[in-house]
Amino acid sequence: MADTAEVIIIGGGIIGCAAAYYLARGGVSVIVLEKSSNIGDGGSSRNGGGVRQSGRDPRELPLALYGVEHMWPMLSEELGVNVEYHKEGNLRLGKTDRHREILQGLTDRAVACGLDVNMIGGEEVREINPYLSGEVICASWCPTDGHANPLAATLGFYMRARSSGARFITGEEVLRIEKVKGKARKVVTAGNVYEGGKIIVACGYESRALARTVGIDVPMRKELIEALVTEAEPQMFPQMLGTADADFYGHQTEHGSFVFGGASGFEDTNEDGGRNMTMSITAPEICRGIMKYIPKLAHTKIVRTWAGYEDVCADGIPVISPVGEVPGLILACAFTGHGFGIAPVVGKLLSELAVEQETFLDLREFRYDRFIPCGA
Amino acid sequence: MKRYDLIIVGAGPSGLSAAVEAAKRGMRVIVFDENDKPGGQLFKQIHKFFGSKEHRAKIRGFRIGEDLLKEAAEFGVKVVLNATVIGIYPQKEVTVRIEGVVEHYKGDAIIAASGASENMVTFDGWTLPGVIGAGAAQTMMNIHGVKPGRKILMLGSGNVGLVVSFQLMQCGCEVAALVDAAPRVGGYGVHAAKVARTGVPFYLSHTIVKAEGEDHVTGVTIAEVDDKFQFIPGTEKHFEVDTICLAVGLSPMSQLLKMAGCEMEDNPRRGGQVPVCDEKGRTSVAGIFAAGDVSGIEEASSAMIEGRIAGIAAAEYLGYMDSGESEQAIKEQEEALEGLRQGMFAPQNRGKHIETTDEGIQISESLLKKGYIGDDEIERYPGVRHTVGIHPVMECTQNIPCNPCQDACPKGCISIGQNITSLPIAVEGTECVGCGMCVASCSGQAIFLVDEQIEEGYASVTMPYEFLPLPETGTKGKGLGRDGSPVCDAEVIKVQTAKAFDQTHLLTIKVPEDMAMKARFFTF
Amino acid sequence: MCSINDRSRDIGEYIPAPDDDMVICRCEEVTKGEIRRAVHAGLFTITEIRRYLRAGMGLCQGQTCARLVKGIVAAELGSVPAELEPASSRAPMRPIEMEVFGNERIG
Repeated sequence: MADTAEVIIIGGGIIGCAAAYYLARGGVSVIVLEKSSNIGDGGSSRNGGGVRQSGRDPRELPLALYGVEHMWPMLSEELGVNVEYHKEGNLRLGKTDRHREILQGLTDRAVACGLDVNMIGGEEVREINPYLSGEVICASWCPTDGHANPLAATLGFYMRARSSGARFITGEEVLRIEKVKGKARKVVTAGNVYEGGKIIVACGYESRALARTVGIDVPMRKELIEALVTEAEPQMFPQMLGTADADFYGHQTEHGSFVFGGASGFEDTNEDGGRNMTMSITAPEICRGIMKYIPKLAHTKIVRTWAGYEDVCADGIPVISPVGEVPGLILACAFTGHGFGIAPVVGKLLSELAVEQETFLDLREFRYDRFIPCGA
Repeated sequence: MKRYDLIIVGAGPSGLSAAVEAAKRGMRVIVFDENDKPGGQLFKQIHKFFGSKEHRAKIRGFRIGEDLLKEAAEFGVKVVLNATVIGIYPQKEVTVRIEGVVEHYKGDAIIAASGASENMVTFDGWTLPGVIGAGAAQTMMNIHGVKPGRKILMLGSGNVGLVVSFQLMQCGCEVAALVDAAPRVGGYGVHAAKVARTGVPFYLSHTIVKAEGEDHVTGVTIAEVDDKFQFIPGTEKHFEVDTICLAVGLSPMSQLLKMAGCEMEDNPRRGGQVPVCDEKGRTSVAGIFAAGDVSGIEEASSAMIEGRIAGIAAAEYLGYMDSGESEQAIKEQEEALEGLRQGMFAPQNRGKHIETTDEGIQISESLLKKGYIGDDEIERYPGVRHTVGIHPVMECTQNIPCNPCQDACPKGCISIGQNITSLPIAVEGTECVGCGMCVASCSGQAIFLVDEQIEEGYASVTMPYEFLPLPETGTKGKGLGRDGSPVCDAEVIKVQTAKAFDQTHLLTIKVPEDMAMKARFFTF
Repeated sequence: MCSINDRSRDIGEYIPAPDDDMVICRCEEVTKGEIRRAVHAGLFTITEIRRYLRAGMGLCQGQTCARLVKGIVAAELGSVPAELEPASSRAPMRPIEMEVFGNERIG
């Protein structure tokens, strides 16, 4: 089989898989190269499954809105895989006056962007979710937020892309991108050279090193965060939960298990030994956070914990951008932990960028060359 | 954080042995075990172990466990039970669930001795209640005193399947059949023989088609398989049983080591995913060691030696022994381990079909296919001789590393010689006094005292007997042949019970003269 | 260790088998047929199978079914079980109640 395609995508996460799907569906030849043995081995399989609009940077909001309105509700049908999308609201919980202030600020900013978010009191919170502790005094409530299953969505995009003709190669680590006659063209791995008219780099934090091979830098860092999953419980509540204090976030899946994420506070300095290692102190801290808000889960068993990297951008929103200086190169990285909810939208946008179509949403805010000091 | 020189995960044979060796050298050692009783699988092993006298042959497994615990206590090892290690983290941090608390510990070294879990095979109905692991059955009866079922079919003719079948009968269950897809018995012939002589039929080249029942097992159908393990139509056999025991191998429980970042390999010869280890049990992570089944499935005797080696290696790693001392100590253990890994069941022979013994004698095909030695085959073994008066008959026909019988006889009637795997021979010119020590000392229950003529037309056969109720002198019943079928009327003429026999009773039955070399069990 | 795995390579068609409805992962009630079909849909690794079907992701974390799943996946791929990378091992090694997990003694 030829190692040449119209588009080479580096990174088999949900962004790369979604882009591959929309391209392949449009008849464009695609090769996806994934370093890991598994599709979606990075943040795509390790995130909390939030499909939120609230709490987003206003610049990112149009993508989130578009996804919730036009893509997520149809995605299961489109992919032929139940992605377990539930649009049943997001509660961001508060227990103190300080929390109330934080939540009010978030709510005000969301409302200013035209989002349906409002502050509600403790009683109303418990009407929505009777399992929440009496200590919860307020919440910001966004009824159109929701959650989905990241594993099913990622692998769903992969399987549909594959059956639509996209070629996927896992265990194939890209070492560098090379230019030919001024254009990004070659993708070099340890044993092979792939060639594409367009090269999409969508491999999380590793995108930085690859972009550098053609002289482009994206200011981002990586942060290891953790999550856990419980045994299955009878269905309790469908909302996505978060807190003003960021103790934890998460939801109950269709399967009945709860997926919760959180932090120990030492994330900046944690090291993972190169294998997404969890820390001994994090999951217990997440558990304590959860029990403060949902006391009924105290006896629920944790069956697994895991860790994953966020590619955190210097200014908090991703880079989704053709690189003018390196024609043929398209970057999609630095999603800063918000990538899953907008992944279908980003995938579709990338498919348009790759065929030089005008995109259905304005991507100016996500330019790769926006990183200049305020005073300049 | 609480810190120990050495944290050991698992208080089974290897973990406790490692603890003893390390503590002996002055190390502060703590052992965690998730069970409420220590000893791992050892405490389930009510049978006598094989091996050499130096390595506790003919001692029952649970007693070895008790001795190890006592030894560990003497050297100040702290054994914490109901303590589940839930994670190993960088800097050798170990988190342990103890009751309602998760405690964090650090060790300068860690030995994982977490053992193995039972494999399952799938067949129609394999998830029905009543389909259980043979090890689980053993735990139920020997640890908790619960009878696993009334009528049982055992799948698997390795040592676990054979030993557990015997123990099931000891606890009062009926074993309807012993089944294995392999064409030959996998475990020791002596274990097979002691099961077969009670009347349990062996079905080699057979496996389970279906477990029957609505909400629990009420029956099972087996069928013969061809050399590609495909069922041969028309060979189905049905048994009404309430329990199906699966003794189809073990898988190392090595997840903790993987989590700790040790390099792993999938090694079918070691039973699955195991850490890459050197001969001292050192994994790829400095200071983390592995011993026992977690690093490769073997049996308890090897696990104990591996544990000792890992304990010594940990002592050396932390400077509690200099390398000269440890080399010497490890060398001694390795020699012992080498001794155990001899004979036709040695790891290097796994899967091989061995047709003759080291002595050049043909292995009994009947033993391998039906579980018992044919009456026409028994005479070819050097332990089987005919002399006037009482004398031992050793129906030990495979080269296994075991020699307690030669020390058991005060008169020197039995010899194995220098090579521990040699077959025992009846020494010419010696005189048996009929003390029965050899009978009780044989872990394989393969030695009988025979007097081919106690009176006109009658012979006596003295056999090991480990069932209840114990018949009394004068009890009349049937003598059973090696295949478990009744061959003659028999009467108990002597029942011996002695402390030195360690709960193996000696039953002497009177049988017709021509049955002296045929009757090998007694029912009444 | 990752080896290059072309996900478009031909592994043949999925052919229904009489034992496809046999439960393999008891915790999550995943059948042999589901596993086989997932392999043919492109899920060539144990980790992907676990993530997609939850086989081995329940209370026992694959203690019982890991070996069985590996055998099935290997057979569909025309490979041998030892060549399939096992799933990662994660704490807690045994399921643990939230109130216990959160009740630490670190000092």
